Amino acid sequence: MARFYLEKGKVAAFIAHLQSQKTVYAPHRKGRNAFAFAPVERPEDVVLDYPRTVSSIKKYFLPAREELLSFNLVENTCAQPAVAPLDAVFLGVHSYDVHAVLKLDHNFVAGNPERNYLTRRQGALIVGVGFTPDRFHFSGSVGIPAGDTTGCDLFLHPCEGGYALEALTPGGEGLLAGFPLPAHAAGLPAAAPFHQHIYVPQAKLKDVLAHGYDSEVWEEEAEKCTSCGTCNLVCPTCYCFDVEDAVDITVTRGSRERHWDGCLLRSFTEVAGGEVFREEPADRQRHRVFRKFKYISDETGEPWCVGCGRCTASCTAGISIVSIVNRLVNDYDAVKA
Amino acid sequence: MTKRELITPAATKDLYLPVMAEITDVRQMTPLEKLFEIRLPGGADLGHRPGQFVEVSLFGVGEAPISISSSPTKKGAFDLGIRKVGMLTEMIHRMQPGERVGIRGPFGSGFDMAKFKGKDVLVVAGGIGLVPLRSLINYVLDNRADFGRLVICYGSKSDTELLFEDERRLWERDPRVEFHLTVDHGSPAWQGRTGVITTLIPGLDLDLPNTVACVCGPPIMYRFVLLALKSKRLPEENIYMSLERRMKCGVGKCGHCQINGSYVCQDGPVYHYPDIKALREAL
Repeated sequence: MARFYLEKGKVAAFIAHLQSQKTVYAPHRKGRNAFAFAPVERPEDVVLDYPRTVSSIKKYFLPAREELLSFNLVENTCAQPAVAPLDAVFLGVHSYDVHAVLKLDHNFVAGNPERNYLTRRQGALIVGVGFTPDRFHFSGSVGIPAGDTTGCDLFLHPCEGGYALEALTPGGEGLLAGFPLPAHAAGLPAAAPFHQHIYVPQAKLKDVLAHGYDSEVWEEEAEKCTSCGTCNLVCPTCYCFDVEDAVDITVTRGSRERHWDGCLLRSFTEVAGGEVFREEPADRQRHRVFRKFKYISDETGEPWCVGCGRCTASCTAGISIVSIVNRLVNDYDAVKA
Repeated sequence: MTKRELITPAATKDLYLPVMAEITDVRQMTPLEKLFEIRLPGGADLGHRPGQFVEVSLFGVGEAPISISSSPTKKGAFDLGIRKVGMLTEMIHRMQPGERVGIRGPFGSGFDMAKFKGKDVLVVAGGIGLVPLRSLINYVLDNRADFGRLVICYGSKSDTELLFEDERRLWERDPRVEFHLTVDHGSPAWQGRTGVITTLIPGLDLDLPNTVACVCGPPIMYRFVLLALKSKRLPEENIYMSLERRMKCGVGKCGHCQINGSYVCQDGPVYHYPDIKALREAL
């Protein structure tokens, strides 16, 4: 499909054009060096050149808290609240976060397709943007170059003086209607290099992780880990949740709410009676890494980590998923060599 | 990741919406355990297999996975044997016939009874492990001609905690059932056998190739029962076990029940032993 040139000076007008059609969510600066997706109010507040947002756009499809049921305690009845579709454009999404959404699509469609997720997800249009990898990004190692357009309707490739705007789907082209842009004749600049890498592809990681099940690395990392669950919280492909009932102060009604949960928390596997099935922090470290590179990956052939670097960048104990995986690769190679 | 076609929300099911069902009978089995009979609207069939579970809801309290204790051959209602062990079960224990609870399910794999046809069935139940296995026992008894011997090994911590007293007495007398009972610690009045459940296994006279073992009990029990069955030379592929985990959503989404990569609410709670042998978190 077509490629247009969007000069920097026209970006605000382009965002306003998107706003005239749909709700637009885009990265905004929050505090000194943090960024977050938020609904756009003023186009000039949007930041398209940013390292990473605190949370991915997952929060719009799988909200951190959400009501699954409302109930009436007097009548002992319940109802499912209607979920509103998001008629929205997500602007300025990095390629790894788009891939993360595609992975969530798999999780919420496979087996028992979930209405709440699908209702919000359906109709969402995505405008991707290229980025310059910092010291935490490693999406190139999991098959996602910085300029990867998979899953996007439009993509903004940074180039001299602005962006090469690539239209990728009819939905994306539709967004451009009424906003004339010159064609982008020049080629695309090469995607920026990564500074961090997992040494081997997923096909080999399958064996590396199987081999590393009893590695000392789990215990070593667990000694640093405080089981705070931040890595789960910021991960764009974590989707585990807990469900709790909340009762209104009148004790006549309430709601059943789900909220994000994390497998690093000790209570995650606790059953009534007190048994905890992943009692040791090392067990929980391994579970998270295996969730990202083995369990779903063995079925789909793809890593379930998108290389955003959030878990490492925000870890309160300095634990790096890349270091863990590469340590396992080295141990594996040393034994197999 | 390639983009996948999203199915329309209209084509999805009500995954999280319980059906309101009536408690029609409550029996105190032990100080901690009660047996509840539950009737779906219109006496609808739950349509379960032995070994499956339901999510029981009390609004304002929450939801918990509970094994189904009656056989699918029982029509019009089903049974849940519930131990008072947490907030939700504590509240259910206060409920009376006529009151209503929310039910979702049945969920999980359950025992594939068609596979057991013509086989001898060995039931190894520890403590409340008998609750789900009672479904299987009664299924076998109600379809007696389809199965070979029915051998039940039931172990309990003490004789004051024994479950299903009436039925147990029937099984003891029933010539179609070989019933073995032991308690870890008997009260002074106890006249039966004392010892852990594994002590029942060496003495069993089994037609090994034709026997399927169905095991359910507390987490600690499995590896010892497995050892006992293996030293008996029961082939591994004849062993089935039902495992407890925290099945919160029941539909393979919330992640709490995972054993390594396996969702217990989808692939279990009943597993064929060869399928979970390699899962290090299973036992």
